[in-house]
Amino acid sequence: MDSGVAESLRGVNDDSREFERFARPHAAAALRLARTLVRNEADAQDVLQDSFLRAFRHFRGFSGESPRAWLLSIVRNVSFTLWRKRERDDPGDVEAALDSEPDPLPSPEARLLETCDAAQVHAALDRLPSLHREVLVLREMEDCSYREIASILGVPIGTVMSRLSRARAQLVRELVGDPRSKN
Amino acid sequence: MDSFNEHPRGALHAYLDEELSLEGSLAVEEHLAGCEACRRELETLRALRRLLQSAKAPAPEAEAALTRVTGSVRARRRRVLAVGGIAAMAAAALVTLVVVSGHTGGIVREVAAVHARALDAGSAVEIASDDPAAIERWLSARLPGSVPPAAGGEGFALRGARLDSLDGRPVAAVVYQVRSHLVDVFAWRSTEADSEPRPSVTGRWTVCRWSHRGVAYWMVSDAGQEDLKALAALIKERRT
Repeated sequence: MDSGVAESLRGVNDDSREFERFARPHAAAALRLARTLVRNEADAQDVLQDSFLRAFRHFRGFSGESPRAWLLSIVRNVSFTLWRKRERDDPGDVEAALDSEPDPLPSPEARLLETCDAAQVHAALDRLPSLHREVLVLREMEDCSYREIASILGVPIGTVMSRLSRARAQLVRELVGDPRSKN
Repeated sequence: MDSFNEHPRGALHAYLDEELSLEGSLAVEEHLAGCEACRRELETLRALRRLLQSAKAPAPEAEAALTRVTGSVRARRRRVLAVGGIAAMAAAALVTLVVVSGHTGGIVREVAAVHARALDAGSAVEIASDDPAAIERWLSARLPGSVPPAAGGEGFALRGARLDSLDGRPVAAVVYQVRSHLVDVFAWRSTEADSEPRPSVTGRWTVCRWSHRGVAYWMVSDAGQEDLKALAALIKERRT
């Protein structure tokens, strides 16, 4: 092969291998977030593939502090684009309502929670609004910091904190019922 | 330091998430020491965390999806670069690239995309040369029947050439430079009637197409329309 061709082939290979190294540690988190947001396995796989392609095209320009937050924010954007096509209602429309009223944590529930299994957790998560699902998955499963979550969601850290506390309270209620409604 | 007069609420979550300053953590701990309700609430939050973590599913297929994507990127680039040796594909390039009117918009975008991709990949030229004869030899060894490039001049420097693909076919791209702008010129044999170069702008790119004595041309650059017209005139004039 001509040396010029070999040269540019090598450039392309390095480029894509470098991207693999960049994205691989966060691939599973990306798929879990896609599953959290689109709920259907085929769509989640499409979102993941589309997100990797977009990230590959742009990762040379990446200069932020967290590759994970950057990759997950792409997954989130691709998911919501699909969501808008499918469901027509924009999650942003309900954002204000979800973040507005205070939502005290039902307690004591610790022992009741310990009796739940993974299937019940996923079923309960599915009943939450997507803005609550994602913040729980990012914080509790992916162990993202508030700063990373704020960057992924494009909101201030204060919003992350209030949304997270509401999401936790709501998930506890979904899992064990609302003690305030019982005698 | 002040302890919380009321229940810490939001700060309890931040405490659990280890997002508080040392001072903030101490204040929460001081409150917890004297508040049974908040201790129970924290226990609930911890139980919820354990539960969510235990429900975290592994996703090994995600890495496979990543390798599929990067693998397909590599395969596509290899196809573009390896077309030269394949006689059947080369023959296909000699068949006129039919540009029916409804299809033109798509081609304009593709021409621009091919140019942008080559610049992005840093692979604008595979043979760097200002000698038309050397470029002609390089091209015809890889894509028989290629159109010989015109020499540079009048502000347009001949920089070299590469093989690329356009509309699904291998095609020769000859590269010129005017000031700081690179210009791709795609050319192939065609039975089209002669037509004048008419530059149009698509996004950040100027694209220009014309036909001259049995050769169809596409040109793309981030240079202006006047530059492209001038280069088209130069190529016409130097055509032997």
